[in-house]
Amino acid sequence: MTAIRAFIARWRGLFAGEHDDRDLAEELQAHLEMQIEDNLRSGMTPEEARREALLKSGGVELSKELYRDRRGLPAVEALLRDLRNTLRLLRRNPAFVAAAVASLALGIGVNASVFTLLDQLLLQRLPVAEPHELVMIWSAGESLGDDRVSNALSYPMYQDLQRHSPALSHVFCRFETPLTVAYGGRAERVQAELVSGNYFQALGAGPAAGRVFSPAQDDRTYAGHPVVVLSHQYWVSRFGADPAVVGSKILVNSYPMVVVGISAPGFFGLDPARSPQIRVPIQMKPLMTPGWDDLGNRRGHWVQVFGRMNPGYTPRSTQASLEPLFAQTLRAELSEPALRRVPQQYRTRFLAQKLMVEPASKGFSETRQSYATALMVLMGIVGLVLVVTCFSVANLLLARAAARQKEIAVRMAIGASRRQLLRQLSVESLFLSGAGGALGLLLSFALTRMLLGFWSVEGTLHGLRAEPDWRVLAFTAALVLLTALLFGLAPASQTVRLDLWSTLKEAARSTTGSRGSVPLRKALVAAQVALSFLLLAGAGLFVRTLANLRQADPGFRDIGNLITFQVNPALSGYSPKRQQEFYNRALDAIRSLPGVRSAGYAMDPVLHGSGAVWDNTISVEDNAGNYRENAVVLTNGVSPAYFETMGVRVSEGRDFDGRDAAGRVQSAIVNRAFARRFFPGRSPLGKHLRFGGPLAGPAIEIVGVVQDSFREGPREGVRSEVFLAFAQLGFSNSVSFYVRTPLRPESLLGVVRREVGKLDPAIPLYEMKTLRSQLDATLGTDRLLAALSTLFAALATVLAAVGLYGVMTLVVARRTGEVGLRMALGARPGQVLWMVIREALSLFGIGLAAGLPFAYLLGRCVSSRLFGIAPADLGTTVLASITLATVVVGAAVIPARRACTIDPVQALRQA
Amino acid sequence: MEEKTDVWQGTLALMVLKTLETMGPLHGYGIARRIEQTSGDLLTVRYGTLYPALLKLEQEGYIRAEWGVSDNNRRAKYYALTASGRKKLASEALQWDRTTGIIARFLGPSEAAS
Repeated sequence: MTAIRAFIARWRGLFAGEHDDRDLAEELQAHLEMQIEDNLRSGMTPEEARREALLKSGGVELSKELYRDRRGLPAVEALLRDLRNTLRLLRRNPAFVAAAVASLALGIGVNASVFTLLDQLLLQRLPVAEPHELVMIWSAGESLGDDRVSNALSYPMYQDLQRHSPALSHVFCRFETPLTVAYGGRAERVQAELVSGNYFQALGAGPAAGRVFSPAQDDRTYAGHPVVVLSHQYWVSRFGADPAVVGSKILVNSYPMVVVGISAPGFFGLDPARSPQIRVPIQMKPLMTPGWDDLGNRRGHWVQVFGRMNPGYTPRSTQASLEPLFAQTLRAELSEPALRRVPQQYRTRFLAQKLMVEPASKGFSETRQSYATALMVLMGIVGLVLVVTCFSVANLLLARAAARQKEIAVRMAIGASRRQLLRQLSVESLFLSGAGGALGLLLSFALTRMLLGFWSVEGTLHGLRAEPDWRVLAFTAALVLLTALLFGLAPASQTVRLDLWSTLKEAARSTTGSRGSVPLRKALVAAQVALSFLLLAGAGLFVRTLANLRQADPGFRDIGNLITFQVNPALSGYSPKRQQEFYNRALDAIRSLPGVRSAGYAMDPVLHGSGAVWDNTISVEDNAGNYRENAVVLTNGVSPAYFETMGVRVSEGRDFDGRDAAGRVQSAIVNRAFARRFFPGRSPLGKHLRFGGPLAGPAIEIVGVVQDSFREGPREGVRSEVFLAFAQLGFSNSVSFYVRTPLRPESLLGVVRREVGKLDPAIPLYEMKTLRSQLDATLGTDRLLAALSTLFAALATVLAAVGLYGVMTLVVARRTGEVGLRMALGARPGQVLWMVIREALSLFGIGLAAGLPFAYLLGRCVSSRLFGIAPADLGTTVLASITLATVVVGAAVIPARRACTIDPVQALRQA
Repeated sequence: MEEKTDVWQGTLALMVLKTLETMGPLHGYGIARRIEQTSGDLLTVRYGTLYPALLKLEQEGYIRAEWGVSDNNRRAKYYALTASGRKKLASEALQWDRTTGIIARFLGPSEAAS
């Protein structure tokens, strides 16, 4: 209590003014005079009395000093003084301050911005109760079934786990799917999550209004829980946070459902990148995904299962405790009719499946997996940029320190200690980096929005925030300290080593300040060159990767002349039969449009990235008529004339046509890669294949072979692929239309939208664009890396050039006398020019030599993001070197030319 | 003169409080004189030590200062004990008694001799 009271008093004492000083002087004066009077009274002469009193009391000024130290807080006072000094000094150099703060703001801003995304996607735990207790459960190995969702189990398996797992207090599951929500006469596609009844309880998330699902109310009846929980964000953005929405009905996939509640604000579920707008009980699956039920099917793996561990359990011990149940369930599944006829070798593999239990404190995000590498590469790039920025600010500070040496020497001469000077310099550095950090934070807000806007294809990252949170603030503060240390160290070390006597002597006659800082500045410039080289080489790799990806032959002809869009009538309540009619009519309508050469559709879109692709386990008939070992191949359902539209030639056999209009799947078309793999040197025509591995589904005849083309994109390349007639699949599924036109495709977009819209205005067309734009969207991450790495490399190179220019100017100024002498002795201007440029090139050489091994190492780090180019690509290295050398020479030419114009007579006279 | 010791920082505060309790409100010079006299002129109080100590006690709220007029009509700052200062003095005096008692027992005639 007393200490706090004293501290407050002293804090107030910081602002003591002249008044307080006068008080003290008066008090001390009174003391002195009373002493003198006493002395006089004891019989001293006035002289003696005064002398005695002064002696006895100690120095007046020293006392005042001691008193002032007690009055305020000396440390704070010193800091304030330094800050005032700093501001005064910086005000005198606005250009320097602007340059330093701007580069630091940029450096810190881009780092804070990339960190904002990286942190949310990769580092943060879920904002739910006790996230460390969460685990994800799935099985790895031969599941003999339909695997449409990654890391998924069958729903009956989920129920088994839920019933018998002592290690887990909750076992809950989810399935992500798009749905159509209609309300107030407006329909839109939303991201939805089908969840088990205990989902909210298990995550410890409550409602913001109404109620959330509970196992007792929302997990009992098959297809019998027409209820919805809206996310808080969707409630605010779509329903204007209207409390009356709770309890009212909305149409989900044209099915009336009651909004029972709003989930808590800030709750996003399990995927930080994509938070669903609505949640529906998983028992509603048959109505939410018409034509695909699988709630009771042990062969359909589509629910992602999570658990919350009881205290004392680890993922490993949880797994051990679940293993017997899992093995027992697998054995039971094998005896079911679906698997009874499976041959022995598959039974063994089936039983060898492994139950995986992994920590899920950060949830599960497919987006995370695909963005992680790119984000880390980007973080590395901007980290390098920050280091370059620090070096260039250090160089600026050194230049200023050289100019300030006289001032510093004078301050030392009149009694400032080295410690005080260092403190002053640290305050200056911290002030600069602090200002840079504050500005950078503002900048990062805008930058993050730009990044998200550019990067988030079809809302893949819509769950991420651009606003910096306290973690980003802490990160930025750490950067501020780190940068201040990094760029403040060099000038500070110069100051500490300052030789007072010679500096004062030298400063008196030389105009260029001390020479001590030149080697250090050269080292900094060499380091900048090295870093610029790293960034240039990296940029080269990413730019060429992008070029390679874009130029890779997709197997489709003229993708700039193909229009694509998606429709999903099932989300408007269409049955499979009505849906098929809709597709047929849409094809007819489009084909009859002027300017359309041909049109077709496919179930899975092409060049759409490696998200959800349909693959299947198949077995293929060999020469002897036996079905060989199963393999997983890509599968797609397509319409007649699809291949013609895409420009994929049918090289053997036939395309799908009227013969494949309905009924069960009878014919298949395979690509060349498939033919090469399963029928090397033979024709696959007339051979058969069966789906579901050895499950002996009906035999399907191969009726055609088509040329190879990409499915997911250039990175994945050509893979073995089987095409089926979509009409024979009987699926209720969205399809992607493809329309070929010899005209400018943009001119057709509106017409196509209108014509298809006429068929049923309630069915939205989405993702309408050319296939070329689709490819660019799929390559978004690569485009981003190429663009940003180039931008940052250019930035670093410019900073290095500026640094080099500064140093060479200084070098030339210093060597004026020497140059004059050389010229007097007959050196030609060309030789002088070369002398300066040679010095610059030697710096370049050192930087290059230092950068090369790192460039190789970094290249290896990013190799997973490269395509068609080796991490240590010679061409890229040479190109980066030449670019950098040109810039270096360019930066050195101006000071070099100045050296040539030195007048020998003048120079020698001065020296 | 040589044998006089500067007053120790820690004990000065206690002496000041005690002085103010005995004498009532007093100016800095008076406090210094009183301490010196009480010590039998064995201690010297310099104002480099005295005034910061007074300020510290004031900041801690144990004493209160206000300007007044001295006996011979001189303007001087008078210090007076506050209630919390009185309490502080009591506890400090007790503490000091205890400490000196312990030290005295250590330095006193050894138990073997007694």
